[in-house]
Amino acid sequence: MSDGTPTKKAPYVVPIGPIHPALKEPVQFLFEMEGEVVKKADFAPGQTHRGIEWMGMHRNPVQIVHLTDRICGICGVTHSLAFARAVEQIVDIEVPARADYIRVIIAELERIQSHLLWAGVAAHELGFDTLFYLAWRVREESMDVIEYITGNRINYGLVQVGGVRRDIVPDQHPTIKKCLDGYRDLLGKMLNLFLNDTTISIRCKDTGLLTFEKALELSCVGPTARASGVVKDVRVDYPYSAYGDLDISPILPSAYGGGINGDVYDRIVVRLLEVAQSVEIIETCLKEMPDGPILWESKLPKLLSACKKAHGEAVGRHEAPRGECLHYVAMDGHEAPAMWKVKASSYSNLHSWIPMLEGEQLADVPIIVASIDPCLSCTDRVAVLRGVKRDLMTKEDLHRLSVEKTRRIQGC
Amino acid sequence: MALPMIREILAQVFKIPATNPFPARFLPPSVTEFLKKVGAGEATINPPVATPPRFRGKIVYDRDGCIGCNLCIRVCPAHAIEFIPETKRVRIYVTQCIFCSQCNDICPKGVLTMSPEFLLGTEDRFAESQIVE
Amino acid sequence: MLSMDVILVTILAAGALSIIGIVVGLILLGIDRRISARMQARIGPPLRQPFIDLKKLLSKENIIPENAIPSLFNAAPIVALASSIVVLLYLPIGSMMPILGGYGDLILVMYLLAVPALAMVAGGFASGSPYATVGAQREMVSMIAYELPLASIVIAVAWLLYSSGIADPFALSSIVANPIWSLVGPIGMVGLFVLLLTFAWVSPAELSKIPFDTPEAETELAGGVLVEYSGKNLGLFTIAQGVKTLVMGGLAVAIFFPWNLSPLLGLAGYAALAVDAVFFFAKVILLMILSVTVIRTGLARFRITHVVTLFWVWFGVAGLFGLSLVILDSVLAGWF
Repeated sequence: MSDGTPTKKAPYVVPIGPIHPALKEPVQFLFEMEGEVVKKADFAPGQTHRGIEWMGMHRNPVQIVHLTDRICGICGVTHSLAFARAVEQIVDIEVPARADYIRVIIAELERIQSHLLWAGVAAHELGFDTLFYLAWRVREESMDVIEYITGNRINYGLVQVGGVRRDIVPDQHPTIKKCLDGYRDLLGKMLNLFLNDTTISIRCKDTGLLTFEKALELSCVGPTARASGVVKDVRVDYPYSAYGDLDISPILPSAYGGGINGDVYDRIVVRLLEVAQSVEIIETCLKEMPDGPILWESKLPKLLSACKKAHGEAVGRHEAPRGECLHYVAMDGHEAPAMWKVKASSYSNLHSWIPMLEGEQLADVPIIVASIDPCLSCTDRVAVLRGVKRDLMTKEDLHRLSVEKTRRIQGC
Repeated sequence: MALPMIREILAQVFKIPATNPFPARFLPPSVTEFLKKVGAGEATINPPVATPPRFRGKIVYDRDGCIGCNLCIRVCPAHAIEFIPETKRVRIYVTQCIFCSQCNDICPKGVLTMSPEFLLGTEDRFAESQIVE
Repeated sequence: MLSMDVILVTILAAGALSIIGIVVGLILLGIDRRISARMQARIGPPLRQPFIDLKKLLSKENIIPENAIPSLFNAAPIVALASSIVVLLYLPIGSMMPILGGYGDLILVMYLLAVPALAMVAGGFASGSPYATVGAQREMVSMIAYELPLASIVIAVAWLLYSSGIADPFALSSIVANPIWSLVGPIGMVGLFVLLLTFAWVSPAELSKIPFDTPEAETELAGGVLVEYSGKNLGLFTIAQGVKTLVMGGLAVAIFFPWNLSPLLGLAGYAALAVDAVFFFAKVILLMILSVTVIRTGLARFRITHVVTLFWVWFGVAGLFGLSLVILDSVLAGWF
């Protein structure tokens, strides 16, 4: 330009989403591009709010625990476990030890299948469909075992307030062990295919960087945080169920030999190594599982009346495959909880998108977006609609609205 | 340049595919006609993958054993069970059922069970097959 | 100058070859999908799946986006298909000499090969969608990128024929008549092999297949240049893709593997033509499986910057290296 302003190409805007092949769930991105480079990124979640918390506040805890299975399509046990743990703290339920071990086994099986599912999605985002098919093919082994233990593939319905609904009997051990051995053999192959492939490493190394400081600042959780070197794992920091009895440590990308860069490649490393860790955990749990009951109270009517009498509030935490998942429950002597709040793991990770995406190429947007393993249906808690126009709510607006609602509820 | 996948795919060409085959090899011109033929034994289909033990499929209700205690309605997360006061029995809407089988757990008489039947798709949510009573 | 008869025969032959080209091209796509599926442990669609897809596409209406320039948008698929078919007419099919052989040579084929890509670029820009615009820009960049190695292959072949004293070194008929491997010594063999490998990597780029499918990149651009195309227009692009696959295979066969079966079997006349044509298509299928299917199944997608680096630096160097070996060989052959 001749008027002295710095010459630059006019940035153009590329919208991605809410519906786009790069996104497995609806979220809207707006990118200001210069050529192929993302200059500015913004995103708008809240496209797939389902009002599940509202549904829960009209039901009793025994009903909600199965509603929580449906919060996420992949984490079938994460939310029910976190919710059940919150209710158990309020009602003061001592979960039998055997149930704790079964909960850990199913949670770790879920981690295996979730990480493999993610690995497949990541490969697909890289345009590597062969690896995607392979990862999902081997994922089926864990799905089969989950189905074998719980009865169903996705909505396990295994966790009950005060324990689990189905036992793992010794007859089932050989099938589970066979699957675990299969994964142990497979891990080397998966690591080789993902980490030694030149076409993958040139796309993933130094892509979508999230520094240690940024990860701390944004309170990232799960593999996203660990890949940036943040040692953070609810299973270790705040042991629950049978995790306290187990000797585990958070997996950092340095475990594979390299340094910690906090790029997409490191996130692949962390997730693949966590699959191996989960295999070991399940093996240990199967070996050390104590005998005993699997439910605090097998008669549901008694459990219901115990829940009805309870007063108090509690937070249930669980290290989901994507990071810490948190359920806040408050009960006040009614059938239904007075308050139920779900914080899915992706909620903490979404904001890491902005620093990761800015300065990257458009071609890497899908893999960077997928690299935090976003689960938007779990995350979306609010959708604001005014007529047909969509308003953006700031923190102040939300605060004002909550104050208004509190006043309305209290009737003053 | 390391491309470990090339070896993998070249080996895979000579292995048996992992996909479960479709019921029919090619899409028949008319699915209903094809199913009729299968029923008459003139055509064969690839059977569906077997359901696991203790699979939770379509609910089965033993009407005669029911005492109308309403407990199942209290634990049904999906409000899929309706009490019919005239007959003192329940009616279960399969389209609403989420197959948690919690009603089976709570039923004092054990009249509710889960069958392995899972092919339940239909366009009418009040079809005869979708209501158990 | 030409008699009516010759023109009539040419038109008839061209028509027949176009139809054969379209059918074989679609079969090629089917084989590619099937083999690729087997490599991914899937069963894969039946071989006639591209025909089923095409039938459906052609029965659907064209949707023209509001922002599009309709004339350019609709012309692009026709130009793409027409130019791919014209290239086919310049290619020798087995022992049958190119129908339009008298009117152009390898240089023209190279230019014509660029036309379908250009049509896609034009169609992409005319779509009025940001995805298509980005896709069209990428298509242009990758086109420029793979031209350099392709050009070095063509020059090497022409140089070889020229230095061997063969008249008309750029004509495809003379390239086919004199298999290049027989014109070189050991050093030239190495050079030609390097060029063959280069050509094997240029083919998927020319056909916009993974890892070079950045212009269409499904996961980032949702189909890129083709994002707004639907119905008949998309059907035409599909046919063009099939014919282009056949053309790239045919070009590879003509340059690197021009041998025929009929002299070996002692056939003549129409039988020889038929046998050679079948043999030609078999060679094309084999080459396409090796260079397109294996590469597209076994690699992840490159960024556009990688495509440029790969073709300008690595395959550019490889092409020039092969070319210099071929030249060195013929110079040495002249000395001794």
